[in-house]
Amino acid sequence: MSEKLLEIKGLSTHFFTENGVVPSVNNVSFDVNKGEIVCVVGESGCGKSVTSLSILQLINKPGRIVNGEILFKGTDLTKLSEREIRKIRGNKISMIFQEPLTSLNPVFTIGNQISETIRLHQNVNKNQAKMKTLEVLKKVGMPNPEKQYYSFPHLLSGGMRQRVMIAMALSCNPELLIADEPTTALDVTIQVQVLRLLRDLSEELQTSIVLITHDLGVVAEMADRVVVMYGGEIVEQNNVFDLFSDPKHPYTKGLLNSTPKIHQLDDSLESIEGNVPTPANMPHGCKFNTRCPFVMNKCREEQPPLIDADNGSEVRCWLHLEKEAVSS
Amino acid sequence: MKKYILKRLLQIIPVLIIITFVVFCLVYVAGDPVALMLPEDSSESDREALRQALGLNDPFIVQYFGFVMDLMQGNFGTSFRYNQEALPLVLERLPATLELAFASMVVATVISIPLGIYSAKKQNTFGDLFITGGSVLGKAMPNFWLGIILILFFAVNITIFPVSGRGSFMHIILPAITLGTGIAAEMTRLIRSNMLEILNQDYIRTAKSKGVSNSVLVYKHAFRNSLIPVVTIMGLQISHLVSGALITESVFAWPGIGQLLVQAVNGRDMAVVQAAVFVIAILVIVVNLITDLIYRLLDPRIHYS
Repeated sequence: MSEKLLEIKGLSTHFFTENGVVPSVNNVSFDVNKGEIVCVVGESGCGKSVTSLSILQLINKPGRIVNGEILFKGTDLTKLSEREIRKIRGNKISMIFQEPLTSLNPVFTIGNQISETIRLHQNVNKNQAKMKTLEVLKKVGMPNPEKQYYSFPHLLSGGMRQRVMIAMALSCNPELLIADEPTTALDVTIQVQVLRLLRDLSEELQTSIVLITHDLGVVAEMADRVVVMYGGEIVEQNNVFDLFSDPKHPYTKGLLNSTPKIHQLDDSLESIEGNVPTPANMPHGCKFNTRCPFVMNKCREEQPPLIDADNGSEVRCWLHLEKEAVSS
Repeated sequence: MKKYILKRLLQIIPVLIIITFVVFCLVYVAGDPVALMLPEDSSESDREALRQALGLNDPFIVQYFGFVMDLMQGNFGTSFRYNQEALPLVLERLPATLELAFASMVVATVISIPLGIYSAKKQNTFGDLFITGGSVLGKAMPNFWLGIILILFFAVNITIFPVSGRGSFMHIILPAITLGTGIAAEMTRLIRSNMLEILNQDYIRTAKSKGVSNSVLVYKHAFRNSLIPVVTIMGLQISHLVSGALITESVFAWPGIGQLLVQAVNGRDMAVVQAAVFVIAILVIVVNLITDLIYRLLDPRIHYS
């Protein structure tokens, strides 16, 4: 199970706007193993979506990947030509987006949109593509696929639309699925259905998933491993059990504390003080120092490196480095 | 759908009633036709007798209802100039006008769609600036001026095309370009701004993430979505072409409704003016209805009830 499918090494994606360079993603590295579900967590604007779009080279101008490698089964995706990356998009790696209504083209039937992917990547005729489309619609639990094949997106409910997106993404049996907040726009009951569907299909098809979310409930439900991002950088990385039982970075602790717990309803809900700093006024040193309850002088002077902690976890915090220095 | 069309057709009736009223008012305020109908040396009593005979001394409302009654029987009166029934005279000119309108739309579409898409794809490049700049020029040139310049260059200096008239395929080219240029300019800008907006939509990103090539992205996924506002403008422009080709038809001596209308106005041939305005109004209504029906084909989200 430890075969590496995707290795992101030192990825930096910057946006070159008229008001200067916005470093949305800085030196981000993580791996995704075969069959694994990796959750990328963070607040809005922490660079998690930009990271996910960078993998398939879907960053639009004025954004650009300025540094780093994205190795997919050993091939660096950042070095591929437009034609070569197109063969991977939707075929080997596919994506699901947040808002299924705006993510589906309003003027084409869902059958047309799913079979388009199949016909792009597989050598099949129109009829075979339709059969495969019906098959995959059935697989994602679309009731009455023969009829829905000819439906337009606006006629479906939110949950059904997201099922269409999933069907489209899985139609070519990809090895990696990138889901960018796939349940954020859905009702809570539908969220659970969609997440279960994703997890079951991932097990059945041995598809790895990179799941972008800000919802720790989703993380607990889905993840094998968790990457916590803040201010365009990874601040902590660990397997899901250790991350929830023993969070190391103060930001992760803050995130976990600000989740309501059903057995502690008497307390008022905790929150992390302050707001995410905008890329234009990122603080010097550790990016979390403006909001960190354990802030030290050193945090304001120098950026902590991402250090290896126990059990293959990583954390970016002076607090932790100090501890290690003391114990050794 | 059928119910919707029926409803729309019924809506034509009040519109037509208003048009008859406006058309009648136009003629009523235009002055006394008797002065033109009788020789200059006719006596006042002769004129008065004619006025009486034509019912011109009746009250406004009585005259209006008389006019509407005649219309209901398809009778627009007789043209003094041609000494013929006015309505057949106008309808006879209709094919020429429709032909020119169609040819102009073809010119406009063939120019504007590729230019608009190119301009959006290459936003802020030299090519884009050239096209958007050119479209300002195209929109700013008055039709009569462009028509005369085209005649001068391509019919007088280099005699490729005939100067005026209608007949062969060559005859229609210069007037169609004259009329089509302004429309092409407007449509180019519209398609450009539309495409720019649509290329930023989520579903374009989805299509891209599926591995769709750039040309399919632009011509299938984006263009189809950008057509709705384009069809709106085309509908408006066709109405405009049917009614507003007056100047171009006059410049090229194109025997359409426009030319007839200008001549009729100059000659105070009011029966023809009335018939022409009436026919044009009906054409505009029909074009609008067709435009609305095309929306349904382009955008499945639009429902008529």
